[in-house]
Amino acid sequence: MKRTLQVLNELELGGVIDRYAIGGAMGATFYVEPLLTFDLDVFVVLPQSAAGLLSLAPLYEALLARGYIEEGECVLIEGVPVQFLPAYNALLEEALREARETLYEEVPTRVVRAEHLIVVCLQTGRDKDRERVRIFREQAELDMNYLAGVLQRHGLEGKWKQWTP
Amino acid sequence: MEAMDTLKPEIARLFAAKEARRHKLAALPFPDKVRAVVCLQEMAAPVLRARGIKVRVWNLDDRVA
Repeated sequence: MKRTLQVLNELELGGVIDRYAIGGAMGATFYVEPLLTFDLDVFVVLPQSAAGLLSLAPLYEALLARGYIEEGECVLIEGVPVQFLPAYNALLEEALREARETLYEEVPTRVVRAEHLIVVCLQTGRDKDRERVRIFREQAELDMNYLAGVLQRHGLEGKWKQWTP
Repeated sequence: MEAMDTLKPEIARLFAAKEARRHKLAALPFPDKVRAVVCLQEMAAPVLRARGIKVRVWNLDDRVA
C-alpha cells in the first residue's frame, strides 16, 4: 500500500492527475472500524485536454508505461487493485479540494473527509451506503456544522433526514 | 430482536463489549486498519471464490508476517 501511494504521488507530481484522494470503503476505514473491500477507490481530478475533454485514458497509459496493468475496472498498482473515479460532480470536486492530508507510514497521502464520504453515500443511495452512514454516525468523530454545510450546498438535507430518523 | 434494556445482564454485557471493541478498532492507526482489511480479505476470498466471484487479496509491501 505504501508503494501504491508513492505511485499515486508520483502521478500527481508528474501532472498525470491534478489531485487525488482516497475514498470508498478504504476512505471510510480511516475513520471507522476496518471495512471489507477488495478495491482501493481513488477520486481524481484529471487535467483537461486541449479539447476540454476529461478522460482516464492518459492516466491508464501512464500506468501501463510503468508496467501496471488494468484488471477489470481497476489497475493493479503494487499488489493493490486501484479504481480511479474522476470527480464528476460538484460534491466530488469539493471533497477532493478539502480532503484531509495525512501520512501512511511516512508517505504523504490524502483521504476524503468523513463528512464528504457520508454525503457521497447519501448521493449514491444504495443499501450498503445507508449501512455505511450508520457506521459513520456510530463511530466517527464528525463535525456536524461542517456536515450541515455540505448537505445544504449539495441539496441532500432531505435525504439525511430520511436516513437518520 | 430484544432491545438492549430488556436483555439479560450477561447478554447486554457481551453486546457492550462487542461495541467497545468496534470503537477500539475504529481508533487504530490507519496502517493497522489496512492490515486488518487484508486479514478480512483473506477470510472472505475463499467464500467469494467458491461463489464464482473473482477477488484479489492485496499484496502489501509493508505487511509484517
